[in-house]
Amino acid sequence: MSLPPSFLQQKLPLGDLLDVRAFGEVCHSFAELYRIGLKVFDEAGNKLVDVKVGNADFCGYVWSKPPGREQCIATVGRVKGEDVGEEPRATRVVCFSGCEYVVQPILYEGDVLGRVVFGPFVPEELVELPAPLRAIAPGDDAKKVEAFQARIRRVRPEAAEKILKHFMDLLDVMVFSGHKNLIAAKLHIEAVTESYRELQEKNRQLEDSYAKLKELDRLKSNFLATMSHELRTPLTSVIGYSEMMLEGLGGPLTSEQREYLGIIMEKGENLLQLITSILDISKIEAGRVRLVLSEVDATQLMRDAVATVLPLARKKGLKVSCEPAQLPRVQADRDKLRQCLVNLCSNAVKFTPAGGTINVSSEALPGDRVAIHVTDTGIGIGEEHLPKVFDVFYQVDGSSTREYGGAGLGLAIVKSFVEAHGGEVTVRSTLGQGTTFALVLPREPSAVLALTPIAAPTPFVGRTG
Amino acid sequence: MVQFNADTREIAVKVVYYGPALSGKTTNLQALFRKIDPKVRGRLMTLDTKDDRTLFFDMMPVFFRTKAGVKVKLKLYTVPGQVMHESTRRIVLQGTDAVAFVADSRRSEAAPTLAYWNNMLKNLEANGLDYRTLPIVIQMNKRDLDDARGEGELGDLLRVIQPPIVPAVAIRGEGVVETLHAVLQRCYRSLDRHFGLEEQWQIPEREFLGQILSHVDLRGARLPAEAGAR
Repeated sequence: MSLPPSFLQQKLPLGDLLDVRAFGEVCHSFAELYRIGLKVFDEAGNKLVDVKVGNADFCGYVWSKPPGREQCIATVGRVKGEDVGEEPRATRVVCFSGCEYVVQPILYEGDVLGRVVFGPFVPEELVELPAPLRAIAPGDDAKKVEAFQARIRRVRPEAAEKILKHFMDLLDVMVFSGHKNLIAAKLHIEAVTESYRELQEKNRQLEDSYAKLKELDRLKSNFLATMSHELRTPLTSVIGYSEMMLEGLGGPLTSEQREYLGIIMEKGENLLQLITSILDISKIEAGRVRLVLSEVDATQLMRDAVATVLPLARKKGLKVSCEPAQLPRVQADRDKLRQCLVNLCSNAVKFTPAGGTINVSSEALPGDRVAIHVTDTGIGIGEEHLPKVFDVFYQVDGSSTREYGGAGLGLAIVKSFVEAHGGEVTVRSTLGQGTTFALVLPREPSAVLALTPIAAPTPFVGRTG
Repeated sequence: MVQFNADTREIAVKVVYYGPALSGKTTNLQALFRKIDPKVRGRLMTLDTKDDRTLFFDMMPVFFRTKAGVKVKLKLYTVPGQVMHESTRRIVLQGTDAVAFVADSRRSEAAPTLAYWNNMLKNLEANGLDYRTLPIVIQMNKRDLDDARGEGELGDLLRVIQPPIVPAVAIRGEGVVETLHAVLQRCYRSLDRHFGLEEQWQIPEREFLGQILSHVDLRGARLPAEAGAR
């Protein structure tokens, strides 16, 4: 990486350091004050300022005579080009006409940026027109020329040098402030440009890593889906053979053996459920869920869900009630909707301490929608956690010593399934008092089904398929 | 990068005072401004300060002509110390020929100082400059404060870093000329190695340093015996 070259590295011409128009006004006012002309050249010899005071007729006359013109050009060449050194000192340049100029280099930071030409003026000591001038202005013209020259200020050359020094001091300040302003403005732009370039670079890196993370996340989901499937196959055998043994297919069992097998089966079922959840969520994340829609009686599904959790709820000492309203049938995926309700009910049982109640109710909403509420009197959810409870793997208590188990997938699955139906799931909760989840479904999922896969689901790779 | 102009026989050298916020970079330049004869230096340009903090940078030119007629233009810059001016620091550092790293000696400032040191290395790299070959001098400023690191600690520091360390109390003008001398000496030697200042341009080290130091008020400065000779 390399930065573009900064203007700090460049040498700046006088014209860039000064506001030439404003500087011209200063020069005019200065020249008017002293009634002496003023010219400013930059290092390359470009004239930035030219103020004539009083010498127009005189110089015009000289210029009108060919020998005069020739000598005038020589003088102009000298004031513009004569070596005036690199010291803050004035050099006197005398014109053939008797007029004089003082010339001084403009020095800034040790560099010569140009020169100031102050004049013409008539030196105090000049008493008569010099011979070369008289030669081009014979007879009556001499008087005219004298009259023209009288309009040019008479001044001692030392005084002119002093006035020039004063001007050079002013100019130095103007160049310094001009330089300072220029640097401030340009550096400001350079700094902003550089910051922008840096930000863009960082954004690009962020985008890259975001793309990489997304790809990794997709691979993870794929891996989970495949692994869950691979895990389920042997587990089915574990459960199946336990069941066969319990049924006595392997010979008679002692009561202890029955008890142990019962435990193996129960834990196996738990494990199977967990794996199924992981499989669901990885399918959702991989965009492989497909809804199988049919006419569904929501009331029946509510009763099913309650029946599923009832044994566990009784064991914990909870009261469970089901209060379905008169509901129209809805178009939905029966299995997925049942799973949503079971997940919500299981959560309610899990997070409600003994003596609490769980209520499952429903209502018909305007706009051809139905709502199912699962309300508990459990421990509730803190406000700060509410927006995140539907996130995958999110646990309100994520510590390793937490009181309530679970993979943090139940609600994520509910949300995905409900949204796939074009519905929504919301939660209200008061810490310590209880929680209500509301599941709102349209009677007919219309232009929905964000999760319906566009391509056919990729088959799992595995021994048993 | 030093700029040579063979036509006009000019050499432009850039030295940057780098360091954390409030370590005394501007104070160094102000002290030098007072000590250097106005004949060989320009104005101290301080760009846009707010509450006495440098927003862009400070810059002071020093210039002289050698006996062989070469014009040497030396520009001393400071960078803005506040963290947010990162891009300005990087721009000012561009093309520098030497760096004086101004550090606050206080133990409490050790961590920010190290962070700025690393930040400088990063910004040097961004400008294509190699800190292993670039002439760098560290000024341990604010030696008069109670919490300042002791001589022993500076000795330890010297064992782990290459650049020489110059102690200073810039606010009293102590150590600033020594720092300038040390950084210019290293700068000269590096330029001489790469561009043959003595061979090609007939500028011996003694003259290069002497031309500047002969215009500096050396009262109270502790320099090697040969320095400052005209």
